[in-house]
Amino acid sequence: MSSEHHKPPRQIGGELVIPILAVGFTIYFFSTIWNSPWTAQVSTFLIGGILLLVCAIFFIRCAVWLGRGEGTLGFGNLVTMDDIRTGRIGLLATTIGYVALIDTLGFTLTTFLFLAVSMLILARGKNAVFITLISAAMALTGWAVFIWAFDTRFPRGWFETTMKAVLANG
Amino acid sequence: MDSSTASILTEVFFETLGYWYIIIPTIFLGLIVGGIPGFSAANTIIILMPLTLALDLQSGLVFMISLYCAARMGAGIPAILVNIPGTAGAAATPLDGYPMAKQGKGQQALAISFVASCIGGLLTTVIALAAMPILARVGFYMHSVEMIVVMLFGISLIASIAAQDMVKGLIAGFLGLMIGSIGTDVVYATPRGTFGFLELYDGVPLIPALVGLFAVSEAFVIIEKRVIVNHDGEPKAPNWHDTFEGVTIALKRWVHIVWTSVIGLVIGVIPGAGASIASFVAYQQSRSFSKTPEKYGTGHPEGLIAPESANNGVTSGTLVPLLVLGIPGGATAAIMLVVMQFHGVSFGPSLFENQPKVGYGMFMAMAVSYVFMFLTILPLSRYMSHVTTIPTIYLAPMIISFTLVGGFVPREYMFDMYLALAFGVLGYIARRTGYHVAAILIGVILGPLLEKYFLWSLKKSDGDIMVLFSSTLGNILWVAFALSIILPMVFSMRRKRKIEVPAE
Repeated sequence: MSSEHHKPPRQIGGELVIPILAVGFTIYFFSTIWNSPWTAQVSTFLIGGILLLVCAIFFIRCAVWLGRGEGTLGFGNLVTMDDIRTGRIGLLATTIGYVALIDTLGFTLTTFLFLAVSMLILARGKNAVFITLISAAMALTGWAVFIWAFDTRFPRGWFETTMKAVLANG
Repeated sequence: MDSSTASILTEVFFETLGYWYIIIPTIFLGLIVGGIPGFSAANTIIILMPLTLALDLQSGLVFMISLYCAARMGAGIPAILVNIPGTAGAAATPLDGYPMAKQGKGQQALAISFVASCIGGLLTTVIALAAMPILARVGFYMHSVEMIVVMLFGISLIASIAAQDMVKGLIAGFLGLMIGSIGTDVVYATPRGTFGFLELYDGVPLIPALVGLFAVSEAFVIIEKRVIVNHDGEPKAPNWHDTFEGVTIALKRWVHIVWTSVIGLVIGVIPGAGASIASFVAYQQSRSFSKTPEKYGTGHPEGLIAPESANNGVTSGTLVPLLVLGIPGGATAAIMLVVMQFHGVSFGPSLFENQPKVGYGMFMAMAVSYVFMFLTILPLSRYMSHVTTIPTIYLAPMIISFTLVGGFVPREYMFDMYLALAFGVLGYIARRTGYHVAAILIGVILGPLLEKYFLWSLKKSDGDIMVLFSSTLGNILWVAFALSIILPMVFSMRRKRKIEVPAE
């Protein structure tokens, strides 16, 4: 019982993100089919209508929680200082960098850089040599399996072009 | 089955056993390509098409079938160990497989999955072989109206998943259905909700959605812990005990394996339906008629057996329309069709008269592959399960890099990597705030299919909604669907009453 009394208030702000995104997306979706043939409208109006209704029920429920003081509009369940401490923000930044750079630098080099930098961030700079070696091994294995052996169309860059020339010339 | 057919089957069986040198390496290749999102068996057969065409017909068939079966089973391994289904067909596997891995029961979970897959695959191969003429007709009876009900069987899983918080579960499920509606409509090709991206005109690609919702978001969550398993103790030494325990758990539930693999077989013979539908339907049915539905989603063996035996049941099911009618039931079957036609094989009932060794040989190759898979992969479960003890500071970046690139592979658009990242962010927000990513994914996978069949039905009937109740088989399915919703509620109420009575 005592634990219930000391239960921290529900972080409703975080829980509202998905419903708000859902409502925004549904309204945008409806705007794209407003003048379309009925075949484009029928099922999406049905699904979107139900989604808006369920979101409305959730908003009312949240308002009741707020009114009773059982929740706050905080985002503590979504964003905390722990995200910096655990390296999550850093990992997100390197992931965005990975997707942005892979088309230019190619699969192997970008994967090596991403793995090395991400692991160093998460390990807080420890085991740098091991991390560099394991990142290089993973990136090279990926290149050998997917590009050299299977010839998949992974993004190619300087490393892949050089290796292709080296292998072609024996 | 007459004596000549029996002698052909025996002869083909022993001939197929002689191809062990192709089957065993292909099994390992299949496990790898099945386990990495984006690398399905179909992709790999296409990539290795020159090799397949260079082999003689029998070797080529054995190679393709072994790869197909192994990839199906391989997709379940990362789904169990790191919550990343290798293909959409394994999307229901982590619902109970991953909680088991987090509880330190990864080895048992793998053993259960392998046993369910192998028995399910083997059994449905035998059934498909025996009941081929009957099964081949199933496709003829399943029209858009009947398919709507089959889809609803799968989609109703959203409500089960949402049981803990119905409103949030329904928001997740219907958001998934809305996302699944992105793209052009199937009748007039009107673009809808595409944000102006041409890449979304064909709809939301499944692999980036799968990669983002499961893999990327999971990677961002697991870094909070040192390792995936809940307790941070020292990893257990590889042992046979856990493997045997998993085998025993699965074998004790043999009825469950039989039942759910037959669901997979029946759905597999319907052209256009696939492993994802089968696994969701099997999971939903398994949960609905379970005596302990509340255990589903918490690491319940039956919740793992259902999707794994069903998606392996699909593999033998897809061969039936391919061989008997020449209609491929899925992408991999379509590629097999191309390869077999290159070798001059003609499909239809005459196949079993003119080239019986080819027709029966495909089923035998499947049966032999499952036997070899059981013998080679099961012992490895004791080592595979150690993935869950790799420190997450190394595991998370590896998951992100290789799955994001896997998202790029099917269509080779850079856009798909950004899309996977966007789904990753959505999945992360959902996980942190108590929305079920599986419910979103069910909507994304089944939503477009449901809409397609719904529109076809309405189009055929000039917009008359009563078309949904116009066929006998459809009506039988509607009744079965209603019963599958109502009966579990009745059983649940009875159980509650039984518990209350002794308490009084």
